[in-house]
Formats: sequence, structure tokens, C-alpha cells
Amino acid sequence: MKRFKGIALVAIALLMGVVYLLPAASVNAQSSAALSITPKKNYLIEPGKSVDDTLIIRNLDTSTALELSLRVVDFTFTDNGGTPKLFLDPDAPQTTWSLKPFTTIPESVVIPAGGTKTVKMKVAIPANHGAGSYYSAIVYSSGAPAGGGNVGLSASGVTLVFTQIPGQVTENLNLKKLGLYDTAAQGKLDGYKFIVDKQPSTIGYTLENTGNVTEAPVGSITLKDLFGRETKITEVNPSGSLALIGQTRTYNACIKLASQEVDFSGGKTTASTCVSPGLWPGYYKVSLDIFYGQNGNLTKEITGVGSFWYLPLWFVIVFLILLAAIAITVWRLYVGIRRKLSGAQSRKALRRRR
Amino acid sequence: MHHRLVRFHHFAFIKWRHVWTPEFLALLLALFVFVAPASASTRLENRSLFMTSNQPGATTSYTVGFRYMTPTPINSVDLLFCLNPIPYEACVTPTGLDVSTATLSAQVGEAGYSILSQSTNHIVLSRSQAAIPASTPSSYTFDNIKNPTDVTQSFSIRLKTLASSDGTGSQVDFGSVRGQVQSSIYIETQVPPQLIFCLSREVELGCTNSDETYYTDMGQLDSESTLVAKSQMAVGTNATAGFAITAVGTPLAAGTSVIEGLTSPTPSQPGVNQFGINLVQNTAPAIGGDPEGIFTNSAPTPDYGIPDQYKYVSGDVVAVSTNVSLMKKFTVSYIVNSSPNLKAGVYSTTITYIASGRF
Repeated sequence: MKRFKGIALVAIALLMGVVYLLPAASVNAQSSAALSITPKKNYLIEPGKSVDDTLIIRNLDTSTALELSLRVVDFTFTDNGGTPKLFLDPDAPQTTWSLKPFTTIPESVVIPAGGTKTVKMKVAIPANHGAGSYYSAIVYSSGAPAGGGNVGLSASGVTLVFTQIPGQVTENLNLKKLGLYDTAAQGKLDGYKFIVDKQPSTIGYTLENTGNVTEAPVGSITLKDLFGRETKITEVNPSGSLALIGQTRTYNACIKLASQEVDFSGGKTTASTCVSPGLWPGYYKVSLDIFYGQNGNLTKEITGVGSFWYLPLWFVIVFLILLAAIAITVWRLYVGIRRKLSGAQSRKALRRRR
Repeated sequence: MHHRLVRFHHFAFIKWRHVWTPEFLALLLALFVFVAPASASTRLENRSLFMTSNQPGATTSYTVGFRYMTPTPINSVDLLFCLNPIPYEACVTPTGLDVSTATLSAQVGEAGYSILSQSTNHIVLSRSQAAIPASTPSSYTFDNIKNPTDVTQSFSIRLKTLASSDGTGSQVDFGSVRGQVQSSIYIETQVPPQLIFCLSREVELGCTNSDETYYTDMGQLDSESTLVAKSQMAVGTNATAGFAITAVGTPLAAGTSVIEGLTSPTPSQPGVNQFGINLVQNTAPAIGGDPEGIFTNSAPTPDYGIPDQYKYVSGDVVAVSTNVSLMKKFTVSYIVNSSPNLKAGVYSTTITYIASGRF
């Protein structure tokens, strides 16, 4: 009997040990950190209506499942560019343009190794909701890493969700700056240049959005040199980039845009880049003419004028040499004329004396 | 001849010598450069477009509104549907748009018009009685217009008013209205936008493989040497707005003792509490690697792209691309320095790299 009790106690202890260890092993299992998601969603939803859509998430890791937790967070702009600033703190106050209360997504999803999963999402706008732009972000988190070490790594992906509720809205864009832009400044206002020595490639314009909707202006920019030759930029916002509510957004437009077809993830996509427009050195006047306006609202137009000098070093050197040559020629001409005049006067005086 | 030269010399160098000062010449040059030509055009005001349905390809009604500006008799209105709103530029007809069977169903304000001619992207309104338009807003509703189908581009209606009744001759006023079709659910016609992102201690450029190691042990803290580590991430997108990678996480900490992150790009300095990262090849200490991949439009942000300078501020964007970017691999270098009086403990952190689209 004693022996049986001993065996039973050992068996129970082993069972408890196994039961205790199993979930621990499951918790510590590391998720994959290789994913493919949709970066942006755009919806147009009337008050009282909803949209059912899907989020396609792909696990690129062929050996480990991808375990993701999903949540909706608000975001705004980081700077004058198009990078979102996410409000990740769970206690962050809700923004006035938040889609959080209207968006439904699952809390978590597990995607098998090398697999793809379609996750349902819904955006439902209450009846009588005011017109305007509303936006939030869906964050997919792979969770904290298992194991020790000083630095742990975790990967997250984000889908930006924009919804337009049609109706009468307040739209107002103000032109803050226009001119030649150095894209290395990445949206900052100090990226504007008045004199450059390198071939210009990008014109920038900065718009302040004081309305209650996001705006994506369209229009054209014209460059005119001292001789009246014009270069037109018709793609002033080729990506349809948005100025968010309250944002002062800097847009970049290539003076000359080159597009090429590239292979991306099994499909063709068009990649555009700024190329040298082959401008001549000198002074350029920049004229901007852009339009914006939501459906059923006034179409507004913004015009502006800027300028810049393109003065490469070789041109400055040639110009100075030419200037020096002209100055020397004029000086010699002047001296020559004076000599001739003084010679003529002295000959006259000599004749008079005689 | 001599007399002429004397007169020229007297005129240019003596009589006008006070006028041709360097200051005056500079002012003249500035005026020449900066004075812009004046424009004589008048724009129609309060322009608007209301599309009853802005579903791509739908047959719907458009109401075009504007206010006449010039008090001149107007007999015709020209409406040209193009992608670009600028009147003097070549007109590209929006894909799928058709106004060839449109009918004028309502007129408010200046009325009496009928459709004189129409084609796929052009309508000319005409009236026989010349009248000076009122300054109140006018609007014209057209039924049976087929919407464009391209949701990625806006389109415009270029408007101009004319004195002639047949839409010819010089314009009186002009202006454009803008519209865009939008689908409740974006219907993809090409490869849908994707953002691909992977992260590990080592990853392959295309995110096809990684060592699946998500933590690193940097060793024993020592005030005389720098602890280093590295991780890699690969990212790419076919979205035209590009991507951004944000680093989020607390600096290295052991309980309440924290090795603060460097708030500006700073060289590694043993003996001082420092935690920082960058995304380029370094020599002091020798760690890291420059970004790999053929596209040059994705790059570390300026503060995280300086060799031998490290920074870490939670929430900073560390890499960005402003448009389509094929896969790019970034190597993140981590440095930790400690002062001799740093409290003993196991210092650790988890850094979350967030890949997002841009707007």
C-alpha cells in the first residue's frame, strides 16, 4: 500500500510538472518576425453606413508561425513629411479625427509558417455623424522576444486607415513656402534653397492645412528662365500625398520624373524617381497653381511665385573670366579713347599756337 | 569722328557719371530679375463640383457651380474634362469618363443655356440672348455622365465663359473645378500595395530567411570598453508614398538604474553611460554595415546615418523611403558604455521596430 501511495504521488507530481511546463513552453515559443501587410486603406463612408473589408497578412517565415496582436491606435504627423506619429500609449487621449470608436478588428491572429491569412475588419459610421476626414492606424505586433540577453527585438507593422465622410466640410490650405527644395531635408522647412551649385531636381511647396479634412492638392508648377523658356511640372503630387488636419506639409515635385517598371513581390509596380532636368545655369522663376476641394464643396485654387538661382562652379568661373575680359576690353577702349582725345586736343592746341 | 567720340565720352562718363553708380546698376539688375509680368486673366469664383455618386464608372449627375466675374455679355460656356486643371496644358481625358450623352437637367442663376455640342470629354453650353451675367452664383446640373474609373487620380473640369454663342473666340473668364472618384472599398487593378518587413539578428534581403534570433547578449559591462551588438531588418514596399521605420522602447535598464539613450548623434565614449544605435558601417567601434539593396531612395534618417555617431530616442524614425522601394536591408548597430560607478545589475531592453506606410 505504502509503495502504491509512493508511485501515485510520483505520478501526480510528474503530471503536475508536465501540466505546469507545457503552457510555459507555449508562452516562450517565439513568433516569426517577417510579415507582409497592406500599408494603407482608404474608405468613403456615408453617415449611418459601414464598410466590411479584409486585411491580408502574410507570414514570410517558412518555418515559424506568426503570432500577431492587433489594436487600433490614433496617429498624427511627425513633421512636414508623410511619416505618421503613432500614439502607442494605451492611455493616450483620443484624437478628434479618430476612427477608433468606429473600427472593429480581431485582437489577435496566428498565421502559419509561409501562410497568408485574411482578417475581417469593419468601419461603421454612426448616423448623423459630421462630414470630414477620420483616420487611425492598425498596429500588428509580434510580441516581446523569449529568451535572455540585453537587447530584445520585436517587429510591428502598421496599416494606416483613412475614411472620408462626405458632406459640407471646412477646407483651407495656405501656401507657406515655394521654391527649390533639397530632398535630403526630408520635409523640413530649411530644405528650401535660393542658390544652388548642383543641378536642381526638386521643387518644394509647403501648405498649412487649417481645415477639418485631409487634402491632396493637384495642379502644376512652371519654371521660367531669364530667356522665357518654360519647364512644366504636371505631377505636383504624384503619390496623392495628404496634408493631415493641422499639418504644415511640404510636397516635393520632381522637375523631371522618370518612371520604371520593377518587380516587387511577384508583381510589377511602377517606381518613379527624379532625374536631372538639364537646366541651364541662371535665374529661375517658379509659378505654382494648385487646386483642392472635396466633392460638393468649393474647388479652391492656390497660386504662388518663388525663385532660385542655379549657379554651378564652372559657370561662375566662366562668368568671372568673361566679366574680367569685358572689363579689360572696356578699360582699354576707355584708355584708347582718352589717349586719342588728349592727342587730338594737344594737336589742336599746337595748331592754335602756330 | 573725334567730335562724336568727345560727345559720347562727355555724355557717358561726365554728364551721367552720377547716374551710373554701382548702386543704380544693381537696382536695375534686381528690377530686371524680380519684376513679374502682370496677369490680365479673371477667374470664375465660388467654383464647385458635386457628383451625386463618386463611385468609379457609375452613371450619375454632376452639378457645376461658379460665379461669373466679368460684366460682359456671355453667350456660351465651355466645359472640358481633363486630368489636369491647368487651362493651357494638354488635356488628357480621364479614363472611363463619358459625357457624350449627358443632358442639361437644371440651371440656377444665369440660365437659358442648352447643350450646343458634346463629345466624350467636352460640353459646350450656348444661349441665344446675350446678357450680362448676374454676380450671384450659378449652377448647371448634367445627368447621364459616366464617372472616370481611376480612383488613384483626381480629374478636373476646365471652365471658360465666352461672348460668342458657339464656344469660339477668346474667353472672358476661366477656372477649373476638381473631382475624384472614390470606391468604398479600394479595388485593386494591379499588385495591391504591400509593405514587407522582417527583423532578426540576421535576415536575408528579401525576408525569405533569418536566423530567428530576437535577442542578443552583449556581455559584461566594463567602464573601459564598449559593448556592441547588431541586428538586421529588411523592408520594401510598392506603395507610392513609401515607408517609415520607427524604433520604440525604453533605454537599457536594471531596475531603477538606467543607461540613458543618447539624445543627439554622439561618438562612443567608454567610461560614460551611453546607449545608442545607428544604421551604417562604423569604425569606432568597428561594427555595423551600410544599407544593402539597389534602390537608393530608402535610407537611414539623417541622425541615424552618421558613421561612428550613435543616438537613441524612443519614437524616432530611423529609416525612411518617400516612394516605392524595392527590398532594402538595414544593419542596426548598438553600443553600450558604462561609467565606473554604474549600479550593478543585468541591463536589458526590448526595442520594437515599427514599419508603417506613409500618407
